[in-house]
Amino acid sequence: MTVVDASSVSRPVADDSSAVGRVAAWFTVADHARLGRLYLATVGVWLLLVALLGALLGLERMDSTAALVDADAHVQMFGLYHYALVMGVAAPLFLGIAFLVVPSLLNASTASFVRLAAFGYWMWTAGSAVVVAAMIANGGPGGGDATGVELYLLGLGIAIVGVLCSAVSLAATVLTRRNGATLDGSSVFVFSVLVSTTGLVLTMPVALGTVIYLWVDFANARVAFGGTGLMSTWVAWLFDQPHTLLFVAPALGVLGHLGAVAARVRQPLRGGVLVGIGLSAVVVVSSVTQRSHPFAVGDSPVDTVGSLVPYALFHLLPLLAPLIVVALALLALKAGSPRLVAPFVPAFLGVGMILTGLVGTAVQMIDSTNLQGTVFGEGALVYVVYGGALGAFGAVAYWSTAIWRRVLPAGAVLGVSLLGFVAVVLAALPHYVAGFLDQPAAKASGYDDAGLRGLLNGLSALGHLAMALALLGGVVVVLRANSRGAVTSTNPYDTAEVTQ
Amino acid sequence: MTVPALGAGPVRRRSSVFVATAFAAAAATSLIGSMLAMWLDFRAKAPLRASADGAKMIKDWLKADVAVPEVASNTMMITFVAVCIMAQWAVYSARRADRSHTILALSITAAIGLALVNAQIALYLQMGLALRNDAYETLFYAVTGTMLALIASGVVYSFVALFRVWAGRSSDHDVLAAHALYWYALSGMFLAVWFVVYVQK
Repeated sequence: MTVVDASSVSRPVADDSSAVGRVAAWFTVADHARLGRLYLATVGVWLLLVALLGALLGLERMDSTAALVDADAHVQMFGLYHYALVMGVAAPLFLGIAFLVVPSLLNASTASFVRLAAFGYWMWTAGSAVVVAAMIANGGPGGGDATGVELYLLGLGIAIVGVLCSAVSLAATVLTRRNGATLDGSSVFVFSVLVSTTGLVLTMPVALGTVIYLWVDFANARVAFGGTGLMSTWVAWLFDQPHTLLFVAPALGVLGHLGAVAARVRQPLRGGVLVGIGLSAVVVVSSVTQRSHPFAVGDSPVDTVGSLVPYALFHLLPLLAPLIVVALALLALKAGSPRLVAPFVPAFLGVGMILTGLVGTAVQMIDSTNLQGTVFGEGALVYVVYGGALGAFGAVAYWSTAIWRRVLPAGAVLGVSLLGFVAVVLAALPHYVAGFLDQPAAKASGYDDAGLRGLLNGLSALGHLAMALALLGGVVVVLRANSRGAVTSTNPYDTAEVTQ
Repeated sequence: MTVPALGAGPVRRRSSVFVATAFAAAAATSLIGSMLAMWLDFRAKAPLRASADGAKMIKDWLKADVAVPEVASNTMMITFVAVCIMAQWAVYSARRADRSHTILALSITAAIGLALVNAQIALYLQMGLALRNDAYETLFYAVTGTMLALIASGVVYSFVALFRVWAGRSSDHDVLAAHALYWYALSGMFLAVWFVVYVQK
């Protein structure tokens, strides 16, 4: 028997019968579906900003002597680009989708503590706005204006608390609103949301603690943490792999769910999928050490093993998470009677991109490749974040009947997905190649741009523009389906033989 | 004779408040734990200097003229034991539908929480430590200030629980159990802060 506690359905505090009331209803949102839409819309804006910023930086790096924007602003542009990729897009992306989908997957009427989650959304939005203002005011890591730098730390701290509040709400939802169903019997996506949010509950406070230290030091003595110059190194782990895997881990859940749907069979070795997704939680330990762990061959075998063990823990073990999920999705296709399920395509490609980004980071961390400090790391980050965005599009396309009660046309979903895939490869792969050509990271001027480098940066800019186009295409597909599509709550991809 | 089986009763849902409080406590523990880890890292990396009598080399971490008031910090640690007992007393009383004792226990919990805030401020005043010279000062104020903020959040939780019971929702045992859990977690965190910052220094 499914028990749904209708009395706990939250509604907006404001009366939305008038125009003012409608606006106020969004600000006082206490409905998980509306909150999810707010998250998705805001992430869409951030994704557009990231794509445009990435394109601008790519064009800027085509010629290291010519400057499209003032060279003094490059530090802020790179800082904002990294913030937008991780805290603007990756961190809240699956929070939004989870608020839209998880309660219905659990047969729950609403999420737990929706007001706390809404508070988290507004904290994240306000904190991010403060970060943008700080960057414009010559603040941020490496910034020249003391007030701007303090403002950046304040904004980052607020945004972290915001993500934390929403994560607590979702984790509590999964654990307490299953209405008698076991976690094993729930959707793989639900499990991935639990893994991701529980991990965030543990790692976000570590980032917050560092931000508190940085702020106290910067505002007073400035002797312990090295001022603005070293600020980014203290919180680098938050914006880098493997930690970013925690943000996009639900993409693995989307693929795990859709693999069985596309194959029309119960997922073979379902426990293996859960183990694979659970493995992404090992990146929680990356926050414990707060530093990178490169692998270097030492003078003695003991030194080599001493370097290999942490490297394997931080960079090889997390690789297994997407690898296992991809392998078991393929196994499901082999075992069942596969059919073309449009949302499966972006989910599969997205996880593939995430895997490529993690492999890239693992290669970068091998000392002898000399890739650290090059633009290679930026390529890996773009792979992971844009890959996560592709996976999220797969989730939106599959659960569109639960979100909007409309079906997104399969052809349009495939078109946008393929454009998105091309965009990710174009935006990130040139950075991998440029990394081997020793192009320095986070620099747009004053380096040798001879040979292929100019062309590679131009290609990357093109990839970011293609991502902006894919995003707009996705928005158009959703809007058209909402305005012209038939209302239905039946998911056309679900079949009787698949039990998630 | 065939006896029809009784239908299953409604599924008892685990308390959202309790689970969410557990997550909040885990987050707070992670926050304080990471800050103490950085404290230990900074202390371990502090340069060596000769001791005042020149007999040995010691870490140049805590300046010789800085005295950490141990009476105040030890009193705070002992007070945390009292606050846990009071929070648990509130749970005990609520389960026995003893509203007046629940209110009394929660009132005392909140009052002791306020006393802890007061003790921390008194400790700051006794130390008179500036915040402009070295890493110790930065880390000391950051760690203890964060702990102070967490204690304040516990006091707010106590007042909210008190208000709910006062307003008639005395059957919400889960809220009181979650409230007690939060204070247990805070006590554990302060135990770590007390040992690392005030005892080991």
